[in-house]
Amino acid sequence: MKIEGTETLHAPRDRVWALLDDPQALASCTPGMQELRPTGPDEFEAVLSIGIAAVRGTYKGKLRITERTPPERYAVQVEGSSGAGFVRAVGVLELEDQGAQTGVRWSGEVQVGGALTLGSRMIPGIARMLAGQFFQCLDRKLQEGSA
Amino acid sequence: MATRWLGAPIKRNEDPRLLVGQGLFVDDVQLPGMLHAAVLRSPHAHARIRRIDVRRALEHPDVLLVLTHGDLPPSLREPLPKLIPHPDLKHHKTQYALAPDKVRHVGEPVAFVVATSRYAAEDALELVEVDYEPLPAVVDLEEAAAGRPALVHEDIGTNVAAHSVQRVGDYEAARARADLVVARRFVVDRGCASPIETRGVVAQWDPRARQLTVWDSTQAPIPIRNGLAALFGLAQKDVRVIAPDVGGGFGPKIMMFYPEEVLVPLAAMRLGRPVKWIEDRREHFVATNHERTQIHDAEIALDREGRILGVRTVFLHDAGAYIPYGLIVPIVAECTLPGPYRIPNYHAEFRAVFTNKTIVSPYRGAGRPHGVFVMERLLDLAARELGMDRAEIRRRNFIQPHEFPYDVGLIYQDNAPLVYDSGNYPAALERALEEVGYCRWPEEKARYRAQGRRVGLGFACYVEGSGIGPYEGCRVTVEPSGKVYVATGVGTQGQGHATSLAQVVAEALGVDVGDVHVVTGDTGAFGWGTGTFASRAAVVAGSAVHLAAQAVRQKALQVAASLLEASPEDLELADGRVRVRGAPSRSVSLGEVARAANPLRGVIPAEWEGPGLEATRYFAPPRGTFSHGVHAALVEVDPETATLRFLRYVVVHDCGTVLNPLILDGQIHGGVAQGIGGSFFERLVYDDSGQLLSGSFMDFHIPTAVEIPEVEVIHQETPSPLNPIGAKGAGEGGVIPVPALLAQAIEDALDDLELEILRMPLHPDALFELIQKASRRTP
Repeated sequence: MKIEGTETLHAPRDRVWALLDDPQALASCTPGMQELRPTGPDEFEAVLSIGIAAVRGTYKGKLRITERTPPERYAVQVEGSSGAGFVRAVGVLELEDQGAQTGVRWSGEVQVGGALTLGSRMIPGIARMLAGQFFQCLDRKLQEGSA
Repeated sequence: MATRWLGAPIKRNEDPRLLVGQGLFVDDVQLPGMLHAAVLRSPHAHARIRRIDVRRALEHPDVLLVLTHGDLPPSLREPLPKLIPHPDLKHHKTQYALAPDKVRHVGEPVAFVVATSRYAAEDALELVEVDYEPLPAVVDLEEAAAGRPALVHEDIGTNVAAHSVQRVGDYEAARARADLVVARRFVVDRGCASPIETRGVVAQWDPRARQLTVWDSTQAPIPIRNGLAALFGLAQKDVRVIAPDVGGGFGPKIMMFYPEEVLVPLAAMRLGRPVKWIEDRREHFVATNHERTQIHDAEIALDREGRILGVRTVFLHDAGAYIPYGLIVPIVAECTLPGPYRIPNYHAEFRAVFTNKTIVSPYRGAGRPHGVFVMERLLDLAARELGMDRAEIRRRNFIQPHEFPYDVGLIYQDNAPLVYDSGNYPAALERALEEVGYCRWPEEKARYRAQGRRVGLGFACYVEGSGIGPYEGCRVTVEPSGKVYVATGVGTQGQGHATSLAQVVAEALGVDVGDVHVVTGDTGAFGWGTGTFASRAAVVAGSAVHLAAQAVRQKALQVAASLLEASPEDLELADGRVRVRGAPSRSVSLGEVARAANPLRGVIPAEWEGPGLEATRYFAPPRGTFSHGVHAALVEVDPETATLRFLRYVVVHDCGTVLNPLILDGQIHGGVAQGIGGSFFERLVYDDSGQLLSGSFMDFHIPTAVEIPEVEVIHQETPSPLNPIGAKGAGEGGVIPVPALLAQAIEDALDDLELEILRMPLHPDALFELIQKASRRTP
């Protein structure tokens, strides 16, 4: 399934890019992220604990940055699995220079399997909620950084 | 005065026990020291298994055994047995007990864990690490047939398991001289049976007696026993399979083998302790067989009088990931399609295609609903084109009562010629039309319309193949208590065999039906038989019961004749006694006769052919027998919400001699409910990656009492000449015509929109879309 959304971050694009390029900042803002460990250039192992519909699980997975065009575009590939099933996703972030602030357009394609499919109709809603939390956190960090 | 038991609407012998919770279902089996198993299933529709690591699961303190493919004995590493081969089935691929290197559908077993509790076993599943390499999933049936986007079984170089053609006459020539040809594509989507009881297996190994006992919710305990004996190198006599009370079968429980049916016994033998596995509902949706998906490109050629010159159907059958059960469903579909009509030229051609979905095997109807849907829809469309009444076009094409036996010209699922044995098709239609008020319908419909209501009348005709061979057997024993014990090899999944088969015996022996105790589905009680499928238990086992009971009757007369010093011809059996006709004071109870037939000392005359009041007989029909019927209904459609309400539902049904009309009504009520569910409410929805999205009762809507109408059943009886009791099967007739009927009724209710319903199941959102599209076309 395809999911997309737009957000506005209250900082210039270069600063947004710098933050996005910092794995630890990313990890601290990703809801449920318990561990993010680099395993190679642009490759990480992650442990993520999230609930999707009635299914809560801890997912072990890999995260790979597949495209990086500073300061405009950023693409990732995620694969994770738990006893509850698996998630595979690709996501693209595009940053638009709007002076003092930055427009973010994000889109993702998500595939789930196992028990997770029972809640698959709720995934777009959940993804949007998680994305909202993620960008709010980034925005807070950006504003803290400029304060 | 002898009571007539056969045909009496008596209540079921088994119900008091079941109603107070004293049934014995597999999950009720509790054994000392019993362990519990859970199955790790593939979350992927299609993936290569790179690596499985079970070390952490084995470290779990409550885990006793973890099995993967490599841990299996050689006989279980091979694909499981092929059932029902067919010359056209070129690639008879069967499932594995545990996947070796590749998984081919979501839910395919990958590892098997045994622990002290189900909780621990489920926890340990999460500790098994499987590294999968996902492959493109083969989901769309037409794409699959073209070998895209991948091959389910690479080694055969195709996804097409079988290509099969059956021809009667010359369809092309018939088409060339036709006044009208109607061609359409008809699609029937996947469905599943959803029995209340999911599958379950308990196994116990006695290492001293070297005997294996298995409780299995199967429809075919004897083939399971024979198969287990072969796989484990045991004598058949040392394996006992019991199908105790089974909470609904409907076809999918006749598979052999489901992986758990070999894994649970294997674990019990390895561990020396009883092991239980009960399928949960989520597993059931992906691990118990489905049915139904077929795409038919069909056409009918007629003359201008509406007489059928020929029919052609070319279709794809979705087999799922493996095809253990062979070509039964598509063969039954093509053989059911001609129905009650004379079709001089017929071309049926199908390809059975592998996809990355749950395995397909027969489910109540088993191809019959597809055939009837295509045929009845073609006739409805043709009638519309010819401006002819939809009942009239059927009348003009019915096989007439004097034409039996009627050879359709095809080879049926039992590899015997498809020959209808008896029936009266026109009478069934006229009776149904009369009941539902067809001749007054235009005025009635206008009256509804004037009230702003959209009500349609639909009906559909069908012929139901049933009662196929090869055989069943039965042993009838009268004990000295006067009670009669009956054992037969078929299993029972709610059909009331303990009553209807008891009635056959009571009729023959003149005993109260409550004194007849029937055991089914226990290989320890009776070891010969094939199983309960294809609406055959009443016909084939019922006939064996009849023959055995008649043999016991003859022996009772013989033995009693010497006790009463009378000639056997002067004796009668009634009320549990053998009496001298005309001298009721000279009588002896059946129990006394049984005792006399098994003396402690003395001589047994040679003509008794052994001791006791007991006989075993077998019945092997030459071919199947064919029931038929017509369903008719009034259906109200709410065009705003695209929901339906049934105002009337009438079934005229002919299954030959009726053993128990109450039980038969129950079969039909349940069938209609399942038919309505499968036509309008239940959907198995797969996404592009082969994930089942509707795998819970939140999304797979089983109809409730609110959606199911009262069903009015009318029995007509045209006995079968093929068996001694004249019976025909009745297990599937309730389901078979429902999709065809529903389509016709909805089209009638919304006739101003000129809808064409060509796809089943039709659920509210699909109907809503059809209505919207049609409304735009005809403003």
